[in-house]
Amino acid sequence: MSPLQTANAPGIVVAGLRKRYRAAPALDGMSFTVRPGVVTGFLGPNGAGKSTTMRVILGLDAVEEGSALINGRPYRRLRRPLTHVGALLDASALHPGRSGRGHLLWLAHSQGLDARRVDQVIEQVGLATAARRKAGGYSLGMRQRLGIAAALLGDPPIVMLDEPFNGMDPDGIIWLRGFLRSLATQGRAVLVSSHLMSEMQDTADHLVVAGHGRAIADAAMADLIAAASRDRVVLRTTAGADATSVLIRAGATVAATGRDTVTVSGLPANRIVALLNAGAVPFSEVSAHRATLEDVYLELTREAVEFHAATPGAPR
Amino acid sequence: MRLALHAEWTKIRTVAGPLWLLLGTVAATVAFGAVATSVVTDPGDPTKVALVGADVGQAPVAVLAVLLIGGEYGSGTVRTTLTAVPRRAVVLTAKAVTLSGLVAVAGTAAVLGSLVAGRFNLPDPASLADGPTLRASAGTVLYLVLIALLGLGVATAVRDSATGIGIVLALLYIVPIVSQTIGDPHWQHLLQHIAPMTAGLAVQSTTDPPMNPWAGLAVTAGWAAAALLTGGLLLHARDA
Repeated sequence: MSPLQTANAPGIVVAGLRKRYRAAPALDGMSFTVRPGVVTGFLGPNGAGKSTTMRVILGLDAVEEGSALINGRPYRRLRRPLTHVGALLDASALHPGRSGRGHLLWLAHSQGLDARRVDQVIEQVGLATAARRKAGGYSLGMRQRLGIAAALLGDPPIVMLDEPFNGMDPDGIIWLRGFLRSLATQGRAVLVSSHLMSEMQDTADHLVVAGHGRAIADAAMADLIAAASRDRVVLRTTAGADATSVLIRAGATVAATGRDTVTVSGLPANRIVALLNAGAVPFSEVSAHRATLEDVYLELTREAVEFHAATPGAPR
Repeated sequence: MRLALHAEWTKIRTVAGPLWLLLGTVAATVAFGAVATSVVTDPGDPTKVALVGADVGQAPVAVLAVLLIGGEYGSGTVRTTLTAVPRRAVVLTAKAVTLSGLVAVAGTAAVLGSLVAGRFNLPDPASLADGPTLRASAGTVLYLVLIALLGLGVATAVRDSATGIGIVLALLYIVPIVSQTIGDPHWQHLLQHIAPMTAGLAVQSTTDPPMNPWAGLAVTAGWAAAALLTGGLLLHARDA
């Protein structure tokens, strides 16, 4: 993207963020974009810089280098910022003695919005029955819904949620998954961090993986899954040792991945079948391996050196 | 600024604490004043005796001020506040204005209540029609507002309610207590002229003020301004 495009880009553009906490680097060149109409997943181990990045985007934390722009402008320059970006950082950050509705009401008033809008978002997140109770008595799932209501208050084109699936019951998880998809369908840019891989795989179109304060991957979910699945074949056989020696002789890399299964890479499935038949090795199933987001994630978050050296299909 | 003020006002009216603390200020000020005026044998300065309850009534004011921002740091809502209103000077100003207004109302009620109690208890009570009594009364309201601003500034700087309350109450009460144990009148005099409480409450004296009443209040204002400035600069510079 040219600098000119970057400056006017809709969504969030994070470029080269660097920040140290005491001596340790918290952000070390973090860069990625969050585009409209897409759910972008934000993954990474604890301490990789996800929450710090979100705080920087919201102008809460300062950086030594780099920029985070909202539709081309830094957050602190936005007027009525909640109408530009809605964010949920910490669902537990509530005054225990204030009702959920009271919490939304002061936020609404800070943006020039009124109580009608508050009641709309309460309805939207399914919190109507609890809204007038004190937030101190809310479950984590209810706090998450309240936080999501707060993020929606200004009807913003950008929504940013830090670990919104945490503490949600199964109904809540299913609701939130559909809800995030619908926000993207409406054309909003959605950034969601989560450590729940399966939720992310089902929800996000695009993935940013953070590690050591950088984005170590910034790509479409489908491409990442395809790359991690590439040319791997799962073979089910009771004669694992025989199969392994036949296939290695033909140049494949073979790894035992289960009691009766081996994962083969470097050979197409039809060649594998031919080789096994020629060697009279019994097998019951040959199928293309489809990587999960977990596979992608584990490969990416290994030490960079290890990642480059790792052979596909190596035992985990 | 208008929106930030509206938000701060909504925050205050959607929890129970502030109302109780403001009522506590009125109740404590009037009650202690009533006790003082009923037990005093020779009220040389009836206005000062009637308003003595402010010594106690300032404590809930200080607590309210500290909790106004310290509570946000405790619960983590300060990040929500700064996300809604990213200009931090605006946040602190909105809190200061809202707090000042509320304390001025409660302080006025407390002072008027104390004067009414004095009217019942004293043989020769003070009247608001007297210039010095009017000055002492208005000065006491102003004093309470300044103590609130001092508390807000300190709490913004330390970002913790318990620490903030400890510091403010120590600043207020330690000098009046310690100066009684100091024998040297020179040091006693100096301490009472620079401490926020003893200097500020000189404004209550109508007969023989220990120092120029307005100069005394200016000392308290200096403390409040220094605290707010320190808190404001730290709020601006630090990560939230």
